[in-house]
Amino acid sequence: MSQQSKMSRRDFVKTNAIAATATAAGITIPGIKETLAASSEVSNDNIRWDKAPCRFCGTGCSVLVGTQKGKIVATQGDPDAPVNKGLNCIKGYFLSKIMYGKDRLTKPLLRKTNGKYDKEGEFAEVSWDEAFDIMAVKWKEAMKNDMAANVGKPADQLTSTVGMFGSGQWTIFEGYAASKLMKAGFRSNHIDPNARHCMASAVGGFMRAFGSDEPMGCYDDLEHADAFVLWGSNMAEMHPILWTRITDTRLTKPGCEVHVLSTFEHRCFDLGDNNMVFTPQTDLAILNYIANYIVQNKAYDENFINKHTNFKKTPTDIGYGLRPEHELEKKKTGTGGKLSSITFEEYAKSIEEYTLDYAHEISGVPKENLLRLAKLYADPTKKITSLWTMGFNQHTRGVWANGLIYNVHLLTGKISQPGNGPFSLTGQPSACGTAREVGTFSHRLPADYVVKKKSHRDLAEKIWELPEGTIPGKPGYHAVLQNRMLKDSKLNVYWVMCNNNVQAAANLNEETMPGYRNPDNFIVTSDPYPTVTAMASDLILPTSMWTEKEGAYGNAERRTQFWRQQVNAPGDSKSDLWQLMEFSKRFKVEDVWPADLIAKSPQYKGKTLFNVLFENGFVNQFKKKTVTDSRGNEYANDEMEAFGFYPQKGLFEEYRRFQQEGPKKGHEQAPFDTYHKVRGLRWPVVDGKETLWRYAEGYDPYVKKGEGIRFYGNKDGRANIITAPYEAAAESPDKEYDLWLSTGRVLEHWHSGTMTRRVPELYRAFPDAVVFMHPDDAKKRGLRRGMAAKIISRRGEVECMVETRGRNRPPVGLVFVPWFDAGRLINKVTLDATDPLSKETDYKKCAIKIEKVS
Amino acid sequence: MSEYSTDEYNVCGVLVHAHNNKVDQVKKLLELQEGVEVHAVTENGRLIVTVENNKRKTVGDRIMGFYEVPGVLSAAMIYQYSDNDLDVEELETKNINSSELETSKERMSA
Repeated sequence: MSQQSKMSRRDFVKTNAIAATATAAGITIPGIKETLAASSEVSNDNIRWDKAPCRFCGTGCSVLVGTQKGKIVATQGDPDAPVNKGLNCIKGYFLSKIMYGKDRLTKPLLRKTNGKYDKEGEFAEVSWDEAFDIMAVKWKEAMKNDMAANVGKPADQLTSTVGMFGSGQWTIFEGYAASKLMKAGFRSNHIDPNARHCMASAVGGFMRAFGSDEPMGCYDDLEHADAFVLWGSNMAEMHPILWTRITDTRLTKPGCEVHVLSTFEHRCFDLGDNNMVFTPQTDLAILNYIANYIVQNKAYDENFINKHTNFKKTPTDIGYGLRPEHELEKKKTGTGGKLSSITFEEYAKSIEEYTLDYAHEISGVPKENLLRLAKLYADPTKKITSLWTMGFNQHTRGVWANGLIYNVHLLTGKISQPGNGPFSLTGQPSACGTAREVGTFSHRLPADYVVKKKSHRDLAEKIWELPEGTIPGKPGYHAVLQNRMLKDSKLNVYWVMCNNNVQAAANLNEETMPGYRNPDNFIVTSDPYPTVTAMASDLILPTSMWTEKEGAYGNAERRTQFWRQQVNAPGDSKSDLWQLMEFSKRFKVEDVWPADLIAKSPQYKGKTLFNVLFENGFVNQFKKKTVTDSRGNEYANDEMEAFGFYPQKGLFEEYRRFQQEGPKKGHEQAPFDTYHKVRGLRWPVVDGKETLWRYAEGYDPYVKKGEGIRFYGNKDGRANIITAPYEAAAESPDKEYDLWLSTGRVLEHWHSGTMTRRVPELYRAFPDAVVFMHPDDAKKRGLRRGMAAKIISRRGEVECMVETRGRNRPPVGLVFVPWFDAGRLINKVTLDATDPLSKETDYKKCAIKIEKVS
Repeated sequence: MSEYSTDEYNVCGVLVHAHNNKVDQVKKLLELQEGVEVHAVTENGRLIVTVENNKRKTVGDRIMGFYEVPGVLSAAMIYQYSDNDLDVEELETKNINSSELETSKERMSA
C-alpha cells in the first residue's frame, strides 16, 4: 500500500470511528457524512463478519466477530443488537484474543508413572482413545458399585458415586446433553453447574415468590425507569454496558435518580445520588425497614395486593449450610423453607420492629439516606428498577434477600410494567439460558421441572423415551456438597466442564483440594487452558471454546442468542458437546442400567447410551448440511461432521418439547433456525413474538384481557410476599479475626481470569489481586499502600499487596479482595457457608485478620 | 511482548459519559493524552472520543486509563480498527502459579 493511500485509509477509518460513536450518542457531527462518502472508495479488507454473543458476563452483548484466514482478528459491538446497540466494554473489545493464549491445551493429558495411569504421576500427552478408555474403566467401576448398592430400591432412593460439575458458560446444547447423559444415562443427579455459586439464590427467590424462574422485566427498563436502586451490585465494573445505559438515562432524563447500596464504596458511587455503605448482612434489615415504612404510611397498593398477592412466612434460624457437625448447625432451631400462610396484619406485625432507628443502628447508614430510599419506593409516581447481583445472591440468607426486594415491589405494585420491577442480573453468559433452563441443577429437569416430582420425571422419561423409573428421584449433591462428598469418598468419578471450581469454591484447603486429590477418586477436567482445576485433576481434556463451535446462550433478560462456528479449534481440542456425546458411545445400557430396568424397554438391549440418548430418532433427525449465513458465507460445524447429523438442532428441538408438552406454560422458545437469523428473542416466544414484560396484560400472551396482572407461575395466579427477619452472618469479625472480607471481581478480569489474564492488555492493567482496605486499617497494622500483607482466616492465608486508594474504598473494618488471581487464591481464606435454601456460598462475608509480611 | 510497530495503525471510537458539571474537566484531561481526541460534547454529558495508538501505548491500554480520569462515569467502545490485525500480539502471560497448588497440597497432607 502506498504511503498516500495508507493515509487516506486512516482518515477514512478514523472518520468512521467518529461517525459510529456519534450515532451511538444520538448526535450528528457536521460534515462527517460527506467525508465518509468521499473516502468510501477505500474499501474494507477480506474480513468476514458474523454475530455472536460475548463470551463473558450475563449481559449478553452481541459482538461482530471478524475472521480472516481462519483466525478471529477483531471484535466490535454489534450495532444491530438491542442489548448493547453497538457498544462494547473493554473485555468485549479484547475478545478476539482469548482463544490465542500461548499455553492453550491441544492434547489430552493423563497423570502417569512409567507409562501407566497414576494419581501421583506427572501429566503426559495421550490420545482421545486412551483418555476415554481410562475414563470408561473408572466410570463403569463406579456404576457397577452403584448398581449393587441400589438393588431393589425405588427411583427416589437411588444413590450414585458419579458426579459432574458444569457451567453457566456451557452452550444450551451442551448443558442439555450433559443433563440428559447424567440423569438419564448414568442415572445420577449429582450434576450441578457453577451457577450454584452465583444464581441459585435468585432461582430460589423467583420460585418461592412467582413459581417460575427468571425476571419479569427486561433491559428496556433501563430507559423506562425514573430511578434505579443497586442492591449489592457494582454494575459500573461488572455490567459496564448496562451501566452505560443507566448512566445515559440518569444524565438525560429529568428527575432521574440512582441509589447505590454496598458494603464498600465503588465506581457506581460516582453516579449515585443517594449512596449508602451498610454493615454486611444488614441489607435484610434495610429491606424490611422499607417494607415497614410502606405499610406504616399506607403507601401500599391495596388493590394490587388484594388481587395479586398472598402473604407467607418462612421458617427461621435455619443454619448456614455448613457440615452437620459444625457448631453453628447444631445450634439451629429451624430448617428448610416450607411456607405457611399469614394475614396482611400478621405480615405488618412481623416487620414492625424494623423502624428507621433500628435500621440505622444496625446498618450504620445515616437516617436521611434510608428515609430518602424508603420515600422513593413509596412514591406512587416513581417508576423504579431495583438491580442486584452477587450482593444478594452470595448471602447465607440469599433467597430471603431476593424475596424481601420482591416484597417491596409487590406491596407497591411496582412490577411487571415498563420501568418498574425487580431485576436480578446474572454473571455468566448462559447462567439463565443453560444452567437454569435446561436442568443442569442437581434438583432440576429441563424447563423448570424437578426430579423430586414423579409426574415431572414421567414427562422427561416420555420425551426421552426411557423406561419408567430411569431418572432418580432424589436431588443430587449440589456444588458445595460435591466437594465435601469427594473428600468423604462418596463421589468417586467426577467430570468438571467449562469452569474453574478449584479456584472458585470456598475453603480450598479443607474441602476442595482433599477431595480432588483423594486416592479413591478419579477427576477429569475439560478446559481450553491449564487452569488451577485442570492441574488439580487426573485427566485434562483439551476443549474448544466460544466460536470454535456452534453455540447458544441465554442472557439475564431471557434473551436466547445463537452463533455459528467461526474458526477451528487448535490441535486435538474438542467441544464439550462432542466430548459428552462421544463418551456416551463407551457404554452399553447393560453397563449402567440394571436388568429389571432394561427389561421394561427390551429394544435397548445391547445398545449404547449414544444410541439411546442421541441417536434416538429425534435428536439425529436433522441431516448433515452446510451452515450458511444470509450472505452465502459457509461455516464449519465440527460436531455435525463428527456425528453425521445436526446435533445442536436436534438437542434444541428436543428441549423445546419440554416447553410445549408439559403442564407448565410460559417458557416457549422459537424454532432452532429462527435464532440464527435474529439478534436473540426473549422468551416466552409465542406465535413468533417475544415477551418483554412477563405476567402483564398486553405484553405477556398468557395474561388474558381484563386480568391486568397474573403471576401464572403459581396455580392461583398470585405472587407470594414472604416475611423473613434479619439474621446474623455465619461468621462475623471478633477480637482475633477483626475484619470482614468481601470478595468479587474487577472490570478487567472475568471470574477466575483464565481468559482475561491471557489478554496482555488486560493482564497489564490489573496483573495481581490486591487487598483494598481503608488507610486507617492499614496504618493500624503498620501497613501502607504497596506493602505486602497476609490475609488470614481460620481456614487459610494468602498474601497480597495493600491498596488504599483507587476504585474501591472500603470503610474501616472491611477489606475487599478480587478472586481472579490464580497466584493469590483467596478461596483458601473464604468460608463454605451457604444459604441453606439455595445452597449458594456467601463469598461476601467471613472474618479475617491482616498482618504485615515480615 | 511485542509492541505495535510504527506502521501499524489502531483507532477506536469511545463514548464517554461524564457528569454535566465535570464535562469540561473530563474533556481537558482526555485531550491531554497523546492520541486521544474529543470530537464533540453533548449537553447531557456525552463525549465523542477517538483513541489512536502510538509506539508506547496500545488503544486498549489507553482506554483502560479513562476510568482513572476523575469525572468519567462510563466509557464504552464503539468502533475499532487495526490495519495490521493479523499480527495479533504474541500472548505472554504468566502461567498459572503451580507453587500455589503445591502449597495447598502440602497443607492438605500436613
